[in-house]
Amino acid sequence: MASGVTVSDACKTTYEEIKKDKKHRYVIFYIKDERQIDVEVIGARDEEYEQFLTNLQAGGAGECRYGLYDFEYTHQCQGTSEASKKQKLFLMSWCPDTAKVKKKMLYSSSFDALKKSLVGVQKYIQATDLSEASQEAVEEKLRATDRQ
Amino acid sequence: MSGAVYGGDEVGALVFDIGHNSVRAGYAGEDSPKADIPTTVGVWLDSEDEVSVPVTHYNIGLCAIHVWRPEMELNTFLKDGMIENWDMFENFLDYIYYSALKAVPRDHPVLLTEPPWITSPKREEMAELMFEKYGVPAAYLAKNASLAAFANGRPTCLVVDSGATHTSAVPVHDGYVLTQAVVKSPVGGDYLSEQCRIFLQEKGIELVPPSFVASKEVGRPEESPNWQRRDVPYNLTDSWFTYMIKEVMQDFQATILQVSDSTYDEEIVKTMPTTHYEFPNGFHKDFSVERFKIPEPLFNPTTGAKAGIQPILGVGSLVTTSVGMCDIDIRPAMYGNVVVTGGNSSLQGFTERLNRDLAAKTPPSMRLKVISAPGTVERRFGAWTGGSILSSLGSFQQMWVSKQEYEEGGKAIIQTKCY
Repeated sequence: MASGVTVSDACKTTYEEIKKDKKHRYVIFYIKDERQIDVEVIGARDEEYEQFLTNLQAGGAGECRYGLYDFEYTHQCQGTSEASKKQKLFLMSWCPDTAKVKKKMLYSSSFDALKKSLVGVQKYIQATDLSEASQEAVEEKLRATDRQ
Repeated sequence: MSGAVYGGDEVGALVFDIGHNSVRAGYAGEDSPKADIPTTVGVWLDSEDEVSVPVTHYNIGLCAIHVWRPEMELNTFLKDGMIENWDMFENFLDYIYYSALKAVPRDHPVLLTEPPWITSPKREEMAELMFEKYGVPAAYLAKNASLAAFANGRPTCLVVDSGATHTSAVPVHDGYVLTQAVVKSPVGGDYLSEQCRIFLQEKGIELVPPSFVASKEVGRPEESPNWQRRDVPYNLTDSWFTYMIKEVMQDFQATILQVSDSTYDEEIVKTMPTTHYEFPNGFHKDFSVERFKIPEPLFNPTTGAKAGIQPILGVGSLVTTSVGMCDIDIRPAMYGNVVVTGGNSSLQGFTERLNRDLAAKTPPSMRLKVISAPGTVERRFGAWTGGSILSSLGSFQQMWVSKQEYEEGGKAIIQTKCY
């Protein structure tokens, strides 16, 4: 079951710019007029994770958003001497419990449409509070699928 | 079909949420339903004279079922959350449309909720009824668990729905119900009402419907009641009387019962404060241990319930069994998002106990979070509110199954468009 909200072309282009060209660090999406998912904020390559979180919550406690982030971390495989750098894309739906039911309904029932149009995202994260959206929690989720 | 065909976003859709205790009906976009009608219907036969064939009459609505009508049986059209008696259901829909909402079916698209275990023939029959008999311009069938998941901002979660006739654990992934992993148990609010009734009658407490009481004098606690009985017709049916007692029990349940925080222990429970309750006939007393003992089988089936349906799995086990049947990749997401809904979950201490039981059973590597709406109203109307918002969204208008599509594709279209 889905809401029928569509994804704008701008979302797909920005996504490609992050995935292929590594032009930006992150992008925040919002739903425009309850009809279409559109780009709200684009984060520069040198911005920190904290800024992503701030922008994600810019609408206040009553708002929901989606965020896509190009996450970098180092990972050391067992039996190797050098740690390797890893990059993973994750797509997050941000629906705080304090948001209005209408917003929650709209964003959660449209998440599937966004998921389907952005091909190649490694991890989907459903966050409802900061403990699920924090850098540590996200890193833990991304690492969960790595080889030891 | 695009929104433009309907002339903008405002389509005045209706939302019907069908439950075992009551049916919620109202307009999409509103906060709460316009009507909350008992699912129980009064059925009686009547003939013009001695020789003609008797005609079946239905008494629908809160007031109509309370009438002292001799030989009126109270019955329901639902079985297991699905429509069983279609003739009675049609009469019920007529009541919703023409008496409760005063709406013309042809003018309003309709969104109906259905249980996760609904069968294909039932869905098709429902579509057929709505389009062919009522001529609705568009319809949609939504799973109540999906609606509850969305309304909580979690397209992926495990919905624990404790209603009147059953408690179920339903995994939802991206808004789709994983039907093969649904686990349900036939205990719910009605089971508790029955247990309360058996308990009270064993204690020798007389239970009478409030309408039988002409006058009463409230005496001292546990003193035999002093009340006058109204002149009641002798031939009221057993089913009517049982329902009236159930209503009294529902009130008793909501006031008195509480789920023990940890596994029931009589020694600990004895120290808990007692709660006072006055029955319709004026008899009143304090309840202590019983308050915890009656709902305990809901969580811990081995504590032995009295006659009637026996639970096999406690609510905690329902959740773990259901999660165990899901793909291993989504299990952490299920434990991290347990959404509690349904009228029976308003029972005092329900969520706290579930949280505690699950904490002991969740694998240590996974995070547990139990979420529930704060008020009784949100829980009883959770699925309705979800449906109300969803069907009022501008973008949802293309999701409806329109009359035209139904006519072209036949009733099977409901299977392909609503899933």
